[in-house]
Amino acid sequence: MDQIKQELKKQIIEQLNLEDVAVEDIADDTLLFASDGLALDSIDALELIVLLEKFYGIQVVNPEEGKTAFKSVDTMAAYIQQKTAQ
Amino acid sequence: MVPAAKISITGLGIVSAIGCGVEENRRALVEGQSGIGTTYSETLPEGLLVGAVKQSDQELLQRLRLPNGYYSRTSLLGMVAAREAWDGQSSHPSLRTGFIGATSVGGMDQTEQFYKQYLQGRKVDFKSLITHDSGYTMEVIAQDLGLTGYVNTISTACSSSANAIMLGARLLQQGRLDRVLVGGVDPLSMFTIQGFRSLMIYDEAWCKPFDDARVGLNLGEGAAFMVLENEKSIEITGRLPICRLTGWANAADAYHQTASSPDGKGATLAIGQALQKAGLFPEEVSYINVHGTGTKNNDLSESIAMQNIFGDKLPPFSSTKAYTGHTLAAAAAIEGVYSVLALRDGMLLPNLNFSTPLAETGLSPIVELQTGQDLTSVLSNSFGFGGNNSSLVFSSNGY
Amino acid sequence: MTVIKGYCHINKEDCWVNGKPVLAKTDDPEYSWLRQIYNFVGLSYPKFHKMDQLAQAGVLALALLKHEGDLPMDYSEEGVDLVLANRHASAGSDLRFQASYADHAAPSPALFVYTLPNIVLGEIAIQQKWYGDHIFVVLPAFDPDFFIQYAQRHIQQGCQAVIGGWLEVTDTETDVFLFLAEAEESTGKGGSLPLAAINELYRQPMPSISKL
Repeated sequence: MDQIKQELKKQIIEQLNLEDVAVEDIADDTLLFASDGLALDSIDALELIVLLEKFYGIQVVNPEEGKTAFKSVDTMAAYIQQKTAQ
Repeated sequence: MVPAAKISITGLGIVSAIGCGVEENRRALVEGQSGIGTTYSETLPEGLLVGAVKQSDQELLQRLRLPNGYYSRTSLLGMVAAREAWDGQSSHPSLRTGFIGATSVGGMDQTEQFYKQYLQGRKVDFKSLITHDSGYTMEVIAQDLGLTGYVNTISTACSSSANAIMLGARLLQQGRLDRVLVGGVDPLSMFTIQGFRSLMIYDEAWCKPFDDARVGLNLGEGAAFMVLENEKSIEITGRLPICRLTGWANAADAYHQTASSPDGKGATLAIGQALQKAGLFPEEVSYINVHGTGTKNNDLSESIAMQNIFGDKLPPFSSTKAYTGHTLAAAAAIEGVYSVLALRDGMLLPNLNFSTPLAETGLSPIVELQTGQDLTSVLSNSFGFGGNNSSLVFSSNGY
Repeated sequence: MTVIKGYCHINKEDCWVNGKPVLAKTDDPEYSWLRQIYNFVGLSYPKFHKMDQLAQAGVLALALLKHEGDLPMDYSEEGVDLVLANRHASAGSDLRFQASYADHAAPSPALFVYTLPNIVLGEIAIQQKWYGDHIFVVLPAFDPDFFIQYAQRHIQQGCQAVIGGWLEVTDTETDVFLFLAEAEESTGKGGSLPLAAINELYRQPMPSISKL
């Protein structure tokens, strides 16, 4: 699980072009969309959907589903585990 | 201040998924016949719902009888509509004539074919890439009509052709031009289809503008142009005004690259300023042809903007995008033509595929064609990515 | 009368403001040229890093003009009209987006957003909270008359300022020119150059700063 989270952080930084952010800057429970978190926006949410498909083969058809899954690295990792276990 | 010069609309031309020419479009509108269906070409995803123009490139080429050259579908569609609107007018030594076209993807259809062939290692004609340029697309159309004076190409996403119409009107009012052909065109392309799918706002079923259960848009293609003339020009050309263009405005939403603001600020400013320009009170608007793409975000934001301006006295309104699909840079010109037809023929156009009002605002569009209406002013909205919001007002000749 | 209060250029290796050299590119392996300008003008705007080059160039040119040109730009929300133009629209981002769906069938929404040249106008409007009129046109080459007429018309109609310019940014070319026009009577800071001089200002000689 920790490995998934580390990988995820790297992928998020790369996919979203977060130039000034390092892996260490993202805590497992950092709120990705909060203004005092990573301050991601709706386009970033779509990029996270692309990320899930590209690296994990997970298709998010309903963007609403993404809203809960993308709260933090913790929730994303749990979502990936749940989806890949299915 | 000098009284503002009157701007008359004296010619219309259109090609869209519901027909080639003004008359075919009018008939489909009246009959409630949508042009959205599964795809026509091998280059687009199978089974996808789009508003395609029924003629192939070959058929358009034959129809237009063009000399040999490089033509994108964009230019071909544009020429069909521009020729109809221009109606074979000739140049006149004392009339300064301009051409302002709008497109968002230029000759992307040609570029995509080129790219595919190139990657497959097939023989390609590099010269065909010349059609990619948005400016080239419009120059080909202008040349076809022999318009050599002021030529300009506007690219501001889905409000592009509203801005072309607006720039034309301003040049007329400023006395820089006497008549101007204005409009826009965009073809279907994988580029835009993939783009809107990536934004997860492409409805795989029929789009449902202003419905509570709407999930997104269907893309379409087409072109529309209109002739704007000042009074001096009309005296010389002797053309009859169909109606007038009385109001226009553009405002930034300053909120997000693609999404509209929740408070509809840019849209509210555009509508309010266009009415002010036309010298109209909100209650004097007879009908609104809304942008109404069918995305969650647009329709809600636009509803709120309309409530900001009209309060609880909202005029009848409808989106015609369920007929044509969203034709991007052509949309405002196509819907401008529909607005002029509504005004000319006294009809309120139905909003197809609607059943349930938005939970947030409870607004219901016109769902059945209504004829015999006395319309005096029609508002047409077009809002584009980049927060580029434009509104136009068309008024009957008495205004 | 409409006058130009200030203008700036960004080319492949230098930045000039009001005809004076202000920054030359260095061979910094860590920072790209646009990022060097970002650091120089002291911007702190995380959204900047997600923009395409065209939008970045527009935001940077505005910051240069504002800070180095000492123009406060404290207009009302609806007081500024924007007009930008170039020849190749958003071709650079178009190519990148096309590659994203052609090569790995994963079209990138963040790239798609920038496949329209007018997005730079939206980015400037968002950053500055400006709600004025804005338009992007595609022209075969820099057309001084287009900008002169546009600026005159909009100032006459009562807007406080027009910010306009030529914004050609591709993988091989960086040709950015931005100007600020106001009515002559305005009391704002800045110079007072005739609008008619715009072609000369755009074409001013810009010898490489590092060799000056």
